[in-house]
Amino acid sequence: MTVPSDIHPLLAVENLSCAVPGPAGAMRILTDVSFTLPHATALGIVGESGAGKSMLVKTIMDIAPSRAAVTGAVRLDGTALQSLDTRTRRTTLGRRVGMVFQNPMTSLNPFVRVGRQVEEASRKHLGLDRRAAREKAIALLRAVGIPDAAECYHGFPHQFSGGMKQRIMIATALACDPELLIADEATTALDATVQKDILDLLQTLQQRRRMSMILVTHNLGVVAGRTDEVIVMYGGRLVEHAPTERLFASPRHRYTAALLSAMPRIDQPAHTRLATIPGQPPSLAHPEPGCPFAPRCPAAIDACRAAMPPMTVSADGRHRFACHVPLDAGISGDASVRQPEAANV
Amino acid sequence: MSSDAPSVTSAGDLGYLRDDAALKVRNLTVSFRRGQKIFNAVSDVSFDLARGETLGLVGESGSGKTTIGRAILQLVPAHGADLGGAITYEDDDLATLSRAQMRLMRRRMQMIFQDPVSSFNPRRKVVDIVGEGLEIQGMPRDERRRRVDQALADVGLSRAMVEGRRPYQFSGGQCQRLAIARALALGPDMIVCDEPVASLDVSVQAHVINLLQDIRAARNLALIFISHDLAVVRNVSDRVAVLYMGRMVEIGRADDIYRAPAHPYTRRLLDAIPVPDPARRIPAGEGGAEPHSQLAPPSGCRFRLRCPRADALCAEVEPQLRPMAQGQYAACHHPLPELGQGNSSRPAALSTPA
Amino acid sequence: MSTLEAHPVSAGEKPLAAPRRLRWPRLTLAEAFSFLFLLLLIAGAIFADRIPGLVRPNFPYGDFSRPPEWSINGLFGTDGLGRSIFSRILHGARATLTIVGIATLISLGFGLLLGMLAGYYRGIIERFVDLFANTVAALPPILVILALLTATGPSVTTMTLALGFLEIGTYARIAKGGVISQYDRDYILAARALGASDARILLREILPNLMPTLAALVPPLMAGLIITEGSLSFLGYGIAPPAPSWGGMIADSTDLLSRFPLLIFGPILTIVCTVFALNTVGDYLSRRIDRREKQL
Repeated sequence: MTVPSDIHPLLAVENLSCAVPGPAGAMRILTDVSFTLPHATALGIVGESGAGKSMLVKTIMDIAPSRAAVTGAVRLDGTALQSLDTRTRRTTLGRRVGMVFQNPMTSLNPFVRVGRQVEEASRKHLGLDRRAAREKAIALLRAVGIPDAAECYHGFPHQFSGGMKQRIMIATALACDPELLIADEATTALDATVQKDILDLLQTLQQRRRMSMILVTHNLGVVAGRTDEVIVMYGGRLVEHAPTERLFASPRHRYTAALLSAMPRIDQPAHTRLATIPGQPPSLAHPEPGCPFAPRCPAAIDACRAAMPPMTVSADGRHRFACHVPLDAGISGDASVRQPEAANV
Repeated sequence: MSSDAPSVTSAGDLGYLRDDAALKVRNLTVSFRRGQKIFNAVSDVSFDLARGETLGLVGESGSGKTTIGRAILQLVPAHGADLGGAITYEDDDLATLSRAQMRLMRRRMQMIFQDPVSSFNPRRKVVDIVGEGLEIQGMPRDERRRRVDQALADVGLSRAMVEGRRPYQFSGGQCQRLAIARALALGPDMIVCDEPVASLDVSVQAHVINLLQDIRAARNLALIFISHDLAVVRNVSDRVAVLYMGRMVEIGRADDIYRAPAHPYTRRLLDAIPVPDPARRIPAGEGGAEPHSQLAPPSGCRFRLRCPRADALCAEVEPQLRPMAQGQYAACHHPLPELGQGNSSRPAALSTPA
Repeated sequence: MSTLEAHPVSAGEKPLAAPRRLRWPRLTLAEAFSFLFLLLLIAGAIFADRIPGLVRPNFPYGDFSRPPEWSINGLFGTDGLGRSIFSRILHGARATLTIVGIATLISLGFGLLLGMLAGYYRGIIERFVDLFANTVAALPPILVILALLTATGPSVTTMTLALGFLEIGTYARIAKGGVISQYDRDYILAARALGASDARILLREILPNLMPTLAALVPPLMAGLIITEGSLSFLGYGIAPPAPSWGGMIADSTDLLSRFPLLIFGPILTIVCTVFALNTVGDYLSRRIDRREKQL
């Protein structure tokens, strides 16, 4: 493991935009997304379909479709990935960042024994010999909670249940002891109890290995108790970024608040009317000027429709949101949040 | 602990069933043949549904909840499946109805599917799809038109908005409204909703749930609401039935079950809900065993291999549903005590406001 | 219904965008050529009698075995009897396309019927259809039809029926697979929940969804039939001379091949182009299905 440097955050994303050609012109999947992720921190990225959350991590991992036009910079520990040649970039990412995808059924090769798949990256990137890689793979399988790891090493993916496959995927992603683990909707396809087990596992691994983690999900509940910070995406933009407790307790962006209140809660009695968000998600092909949420926002003023609100940063610098008419910071939030600052562009 | 639960009752005690219910499902068993193997999707499930009532069916994949929904509407394919038990609707045994009688019955019992896009024939026009049931039922053209317009209006759409369009031209939420309109057009008094919001985004999901609730109230509809999402079920259901590997393990009033689940599986499901409450810093769990193979369920209680309370009795005797002190019925030898006595680590988020 | 007014025209949703049209994939050069060629061939076959200046196929129009020249009748030269090869090709096309078309209709009709029943009801019908399809697929079509025609005497009708019969299994298997893949879709369940009869589900719900797949498979299968029919006529068992047929013309010109090699050029070129065009059109149609499935 590399020694965490104090100078640079582990991951810095700067003005990242991404457009892919579509039938009706270019689709702006991501627009001007910036954030930093410190070492050993768990970050949730939340948004509905089309919010751009999945493309964001794909772009970070340099696995966006080749026809996508990407601008902006991604820095891993201070190194701008775009400045590296393709091979170095891939090797760097492969070694230092692990990724788990949504569908464990399709992300494992059905014809290769799971042990081989787990150790592949460590042999390639860490240069381990066969025996060392094998020992490491078995240890990893054990670490992700697979019983009889030594035996499972020789199994094929179809012999495992969906949850077990996802555990194997996590072991594969951990093969090079990454400093950052990205889980892209990694539990969406799983049953509720299995989902909880996998999320528990990810959380334990993140804390025990002191690595950073990005949990990408459409479900605010998934990130609630398990992350340090949350980013909310809407229409390809980062609209709010805050410490998890603060985001849930006093969201500043109107969309975050609307999303939170639209969720059915088990502590409400039956037939409680849910708050809804009127209208449709924004068109990525024909983005309108201004805030993407303005057409659906009850509090929208003319300024919202005219220009994209700049990022407002709280006094302590930990809460950022892009809204012209933010909600009050609330009792639990710190009052100094009201001072707007220019976005860190 | 479990001593305050009623002592063993007879296996046939089904006190939660009512005689005046509209829909009665009695001892429903569905098994599928796959070559030589027989796989019991649903085993001996009984419940009923009153007019205007909403029953939530919850469970994970393989629990049999979808099969139950389809069996109620007589949609389980004839080849490769065996059905046992009886389903009666307003005193008509559905299995004994002729084709023509069953077709008439379908005016009263309808269904909404999980994926609104795939529940529409992609090559047909949306207006025809919404009116299809009426056409099948032989409704005259004028009446058909009137009813389609009404159904579209009920879901917040209009003929002008959908005329000439095909399903792919609508978003997921719009398609689900159209699916509801298609079911409503026939004027049913019961609808089986099979994961109707599972494929929708949160903001759209809220719309569809509210819409279903409004229609239910306005038309006094009975709903069977099948879902894996316990938070959604909590919102819509009067009563809840929990299924595990084809067995009903708990049934009762939603308030009772969510306040104090009796079956350890229900407890586990409730604990697994991702609650948007960061104060509930989730303790990294113990990571229990995963569901057992359905082709060879374990002896006795099917949940025992994942259950922290299982003992020798659970391996030998399959528990039957029996009344619990909290009010619901559960099939467990060692049901959980009432709230406050056990598992006190996180009761706050689960309790209903008094 | 006052409670329902909480959803006024879908709560603030903008009026729906204009209907999005499904886009057809762009034609490549080869595909454009293929469509054009088939169109011209079909038109030529239909209107062969009315093309001004074109002689009758059996009319001894000029000198024997003349090489191609730039005139409508002499475009591919004249055969050993002085007949216009171009005229004979167009009239031969009429015969070939009729035979292949009728055979395809027969196999398509019966194949769809059997395949859909097999896929929908499974069980014994499926086993019967599988057995039938596999048995027929094991037969070499040319030998079977040769044997049949030897036994019953050369007959265009018999040949057409036999060609059609031998393809039934192919279409049945395709249709069966299509029905099975549709069977578990929610819209089939939805139709059943609405009370639709089996016949309605098969005809109104499933059949329209099978058509594109079949449409893409018909041209290449027709190409195969054209080759089989040509081979039979070449062997003298298909369309009996002096009626013009592509296979027969190749057979005629092989006799003179050493002295007049250009005579074989016309019929061979026609068969090659037709088969090529049909396969290319099939590719285009299946490309269109892929595109469509992605958009639906």
